Amino acid sequence: MVSVVEMPEKTSQITASGPEVRRGLIEIKQLDFAYGDHQVLHDVTLSIAPRAVTAFIGPSGCGKTTLLRCLNRMNDLIDGARITRGSVEIEGIDINAPGVDVVDLRRRVGMVFQKSNPFPKSIYDNVAYGLRIAGITKRTLIDEAVERSLRSAALWDEVKDRLHVSGYGISGGQQQRLCIARALAVEPEIILMDEPCSALDPIATAKVEELIRQLKQQYTIVIVTHNMQQAGRCSDHTAFFYLGRLIEFDGTAKIFSNPRQRQTEEYITGRFG
Amino acid sequence: MIAPKHILGTFDDALASLRNNVLLMSSLTERSLDRAITGLLQRDDELCAIAIADDEEIDQLEKQVDKDGIDLLLRFQPVASDLRRVVSAMKLSSNLERMADQATNIARRARKLNQHPALPEAELIRPMHAHAMAMFKDAIDAYVRADVDLARSIVPRDDGLDELNRATGRRLIERMAEDPEQLRGYLNLIFVSRCLERVGDHATNMAEDAVYAAAAEDIRHQHSASAAK
Repeated sequence: MVSVVEMPEKTSQITASGPEVRRGLIEIKQLDFAYGDHQVLHDVTLSIAPRAVTAFIGPSGCGKTTLLRCLNRMNDLIDGARITRGSVEIEGIDINAPGVDVVDLRRRVGMVFQKSNPFPKSIYDNVAYGLRIAGITKRTLIDEAVERSLRSAALWDEVKDRLHVSGYGISGGQQQRLCIARALAVEPEIILMDEPCSALDPIATAKVEELIRQLKQQYTIVIVTHNMQQAGRCSDHTAFFYLGRLIEFDGTAKIFSNPRQRQTEEYITGRFG
Repeated sequence: MIAPKHILGTFDDALASLRNNVLLMSSLTERSLDRAITGLLQRDDELCAIAIADDEEIDQLEKQVDKDGIDLLLRFQPVASDLRRVVSAMKLSSNLERMADQATNIARRARKLNQHPALPEAELIRPMHAHAMAMFKDAIDAYVRADVDLARSIVPRDDGLDELNRATGRRLIERMAEDPEQLRGYLNLIFVSRCLERVGDHATNMAEDAVYAAAAEDIRHQHSASAAK
């Protein structure tokens, strides 16, 4: 059965990020997903607009992180985890089709995790890592990419004089922005963020949120968050999941002011028992 | 359908307290308006004095509703229907306070009128009072019961009150020409008529806020725009 989930209404945010979105950059179609025998996503159909921020919200265990990880095949790394039906397409290409280069996919679809995870290397080497893996050796190219990525991650001014100190030697908020810089270095089109601010203090959170606002001019961002105020502040579209199903997907202003579905209303207003 | 309780009981308590204060304001305002008009029609200075004195309590309740509303926004960051409840309660309270000011204005004019011989034209105020109070009570009913249809039906009824105000004004101006010795009295009645017309405007605002609270729809300025076409 195809779930009936209405596309987001045209909102000012959509208009601001481009003309009418006829086709999403990412098209999730009737997706079922299971860990072994345990099905965790049911019939999810969702269209993610380019150069906009889409937030996934919902209670723990609703499948939002699993869905996020489907977008760059991170679930491939888990035994028994598999898509049992449906597809994920990026620019019309089924990313699970045979022959798709997973390394290239993950270059195009970068990911930032809940807890910052810099490599035990210098700040410079953290950002340069992806480029070196991709076979780039020319120093000037790497230098340029490191500076560009750190500037894009709003971190350059804070670390430019200590690029060769350890990535562990900076604050938690800076480490998270370093991880964002590392993701940006390989010039992805899409950035997935799995609760990127859950371990950060309010100031560091505000810096990452401001960064998200700036990045969406160039990148498509999908963010999983438990912080509904954050979803309200940062995202253009919001999808609410419950028990592995997409309950509602709409413009963020609509979701947080007058959602269509009773379950969404009860969740966002704190009435979910 | 009754919405389930919030996980945070203090959130429900705060919302209930806000709503109860708005309803208390509504009861006091209704009573003040009735006392002011009765003071006028029955030439009872005592009732007028009580209506004027009660305004203080309504003013304090308005401040309390604002304080509680801001506190709710700060502590619970309400969204969706909860946010609309808080915003509409604060807007209702502001309209109720202004309505209560009209009761005070009417009572003050009534006391002036009571110092002079009775004017039969005071009876012109009676149908206006009935019309304005019916709008007021229905607006509060619509808010309490989240009755969007009732709330919508109140907005065009303001035209009827406006027409009564105009007709009353015309009649009283005629009487001024015919009976210039009572000119000040007729002016006071015109002022009372104008106060009731304003009560209707506030009832209309409250009906619009009731629609917003229940259906997240902003219907302000639609009726006047369509009437102008």
